[in-house]
Amino acid sequence: MAEIVAAMAMTHSPGLTGWFARAPEEHQQLARRAMDEMRERLHAARPDVILAFSNDHLLNWPINNTPEYTVGIGEEHVGPADWYDEWLALDKYRIPGHPALARHLVNEGARRRLAFAYLRRMEFDDGFSVPMHYLNADGRIPLVPVGMNCTVPPIPTPERAYHVGAMLREIVRAYPGRERVAVLATGGLSHEPGGPRYFWVDEEFDRRFLDLLKGGDHQALLRECTLERMEEAGSGGTAELLAWIVVLAFTSGPADVLAYMPAIAWRTGTGMVVWDMEPRPVDVGPPAGRPGQPTDTEVAQ
Amino acid sequence: MGNVERCDKTLPLNEMIFYVRRDRDLRERWKTDLAGLAREFGLSQSEYEALRDQDIRRLNEMGVHQYYLPQILRLFHGAAANTNSHPALEAYKRAFPDETARALELQTRVEGRQARELR
Repeated sequence: MAEIVAAMAMTHSPGLTGWFARAPEEHQQLARRAMDEMRERLHAARPDVILAFSNDHLLNWPINNTPEYTVGIGEEHVGPADWYDEWLALDKYRIPGHPALARHLVNEGARRRLAFAYLRRMEFDDGFSVPMHYLNADGRIPLVPVGMNCTVPPIPTPERAYHVGAMLREIVRAYPGRERVAVLATGGLSHEPGGPRYFWVDEEFDRRFLDLLKGGDHQALLRECTLERMEEAGSGGTAELLAWIVVLAFTSGPADVLAYMPAIAWRTGTGMVVWDMEPRPVDVGPPAGRPGQPTDTEVAQ
Repeated sequence: MGNVERCDKTLPLNEMIFYVRRDRDLRERWKTDLAGLAREFGLSQSEYEALRDQDIRRLNEMGVHQYYLPQILRLFHGAAANTNSHPALEAYKRAFPDETARALELQTRVEGRQARELR
């Protein structure tokens, strides 16, 4: 049985690698510190594999056939795709896959009536390339990438994403190996890539979304952050937060919001979040002190 | 719903961009033989003309998926250093002046200093 040992989410905007230094110094510092902390917490959780979710930016599937979810089942992932490397200013990278877990997701999903497409050779755009650059640059942690359709109508709803996330959590736990799995969502927050409001970010929506994550009440978040509300905050891009909602379903309790930047220079409301996945200590009241041993208070006196 | 709902999923141009982006030879032909490429993918005359003229507003109205619009501009102008002053983004400022003006006000507010142009 596999174990979920980390859950985190971050923006994947191409500006984070392609033109990072064009943002105000304050935004650069916030982003750098937050991504450093994410990386430290990711590695501290000692994951055997990262299960990552991101919008597929119409790179892997033509518009006549855009699956809701696509699992990358290859032995090795190579990115970024040609032409994207120049945009992202990234060299080619190689990250091992985890075909056994990936194929388990596809087949066990089917048994539970979830249709996951798959690709043996997935192409990589900003969605996985930018977070891997900051969190797993040496490719030491194997990756199972799951591409999502967050941008071609009909865009799935947050309720649907949460449902799929909850099913996936069970499917991962049912994996016969003892892998330690980190789940990662990438994308968002508010932005409208290629739309008339290309330069706009909706800070009010973004801060509200992050506050709801901090609050840890999943149903409250789903009630308020509807697909319509996401579309208002930035059409065709903000709904990348569906990936965050998939990961939300793997978690319980409040998220730590590491940073938020309304970064117009990167054309994206930019944020980083980590959930605490440590098993919660059972609350047994104040320490009683064992018989025959002084309590801390007695020692101090 | 938002702008992305304008998308005409059956528009030939929406198929064409997918294949051009992924293929080095097609990307070369984009520069040397756009008309021939448009014919092969079955674009209408008005689709081809809006594409040739890099008329972002018109392409958006006719149902090109919004995500493909900046990609079209990058195929013409290159993808590197895609900041808010890249030629692809300058084309956006011309196509959507009202939205751009509001974003400029927002940038001034966010960055706490007077911005004369979007950075």
